[in-house]
Amino acid sequence: MSEEVRGLVERYMPEFPVRRCGRVFTDTTQFMDINHGDVIELGGLHYLVLKDESERRFGMEDPKYWVKRCRELETGERKILKLVFFERFPLKVGEFEVQCYRSPKKESRILDLVADDPRFMHGVTRPDDHENPVRILDIVQGREIGKYVYAVKADHEAYFREHFPSVLDHFMEACGAIAFLHAHGEKHGDIRRDHLFIEYGTGTYRWIDFDYTFDFHENPYGLDIFGLGNILIYCAGKQVWNMGNLREGGFPDETLDGLDRGDHSLVIRNRVVNLRKLFPYIPAELNNVFMHFSQRTEVFYDTVEEFLDELRPCRGLLG
Amino acid sequence: MDFKRVLIAVDGSENSLRAVRYAAAILGGGQGYAVQLVHIERLPERDMFPDESAWSGQCREHSRAMRDFLEEARGMLEAGGLSGETICSQYIDSCMARPEGAEDCSHGRNIALEILSIAEEGGYGTLVIGRRGVSKAEEFLFGSVSNKLIHHAKDRTVWVVS
Repeated sequence: MSEEVRGLVERYMPEFPVRRCGRVFTDTTQFMDINHGDVIELGGLHYLVLKDESERRFGMEDPKYWVKRCRELETGERKILKLVFFERFPLKVGEFEVQCYRSPKKESRILDLVADDPRFMHGVTRPDDHENPVRILDIVQGREIGKYVYAVKADHEAYFREHFPSVLDHFMEACGAIAFLHAHGEKHGDIRRDHLFIEYGTGTYRWIDFDYTFDFHENPYGLDIFGLGNILIYCAGKQVWNMGNLREGGFPDETLDGLDRGDHSLVIRNRVVNLRKLFPYIPAELNNVFMHFSQRTEVFYDTVEEFLDELRPCRGLLG
Repeated sequence: MDFKRVLIAVDGSENSLRAVRYAAAILGGGQGYAVQLVHIERLPERDMFPDESAWSGQCREHSRAMRDFLEEARGMLEAGGLSGETICSQYIDSCMARPEGAEDCSHGRNIALEILSIAEEGGYGTLVIGRRGVSKAEEFLFGSVSNKLIHHAKDRTVWVVS
């Protein structure tokens, strides 16, 4: 136990059990060694490590040892510290496997770019004393859009008529945020519904996690547009509708029999995107936007602006 | 627009080698052709490398390989029967490796439109490009220069060699 940590904790966070106090780290290179009760010192401030962040995917807890949930001792604010972790790994996108890179530089650059933009998470980058750029992130207090939409207590039609119009308004603003990144030559890189938060209190839709990058030359923003399409279709359907759960939806047999290959996602082939076949009250114009992501499509959106140009007029059809 | 002014866009791949070979076979016996080989530099993303020196080393390697490729392509066209004076090569640097404000560099965001712009400026009536043969889903996610060229090219002929 370090006397220095104990002194800091006693001064700033007296409720923290002293027996849990660990070491002070000024070099974060060996992030696996930094645990609960340790303190990371950066730029004269001290961050008490509470736990490693984790993601829950496919029902499993996936710890992210390089992402530490912390308390900034001098201010008492909760922060997330992302430590440097260069990683190259294959990412499955539908049936494709693409090489993905985790880039702290990219995320730092975007944090600087969006520092005053409420549509994104905020944070700063501070080097540790070994020049590792550590990102100190404000925690977005909110709920993932997917969880929010799924939890609305209404059947689909009531949800679609009463809640979805507002979701769409905010989603289009969130799309505008991605268009802003693209206009600055940046891609989000990991657009998923658990990376778009609805902030408690303000209701602002805010993107998080920008450290993924890919080496796509011909279509650098294609994966971001694919991600936006997935979120839109999820929100319109109130959930993912796929071959595995269509029976649970209570749709008549003739509806299910009427679905063909062209009604499914171009990339995730068991996912229904032709939602109008399931929910006939969805306006055809909106459904046409979904169909740009289907196996039937011959034309793709090259830019977020093209996507928004077709989405905006649909809003007026929803009331 | 002169269809005998031929622009061949190459990226160092086996597909573009095939396109050059095809062009050499078709144009080699003819008269009055002017052929321009063009490569638009596409450097690896800086973010994929832990530091600047690793990235610039990879860029130098890429540049050297592509300049060699252009020479090889020129040799192939000459071997096909085109005279050396009728063949030009152009290597368009990426703006990523250029100082701020440099002109005549590529931002690499839309290779197909850049090729078309070169064709328009140079009055090239025939474009030649190799094709990877991607699926619709691959085109959606990763893009396809040849398909974009086909969609956007107007008033000129496009040879897509697969």
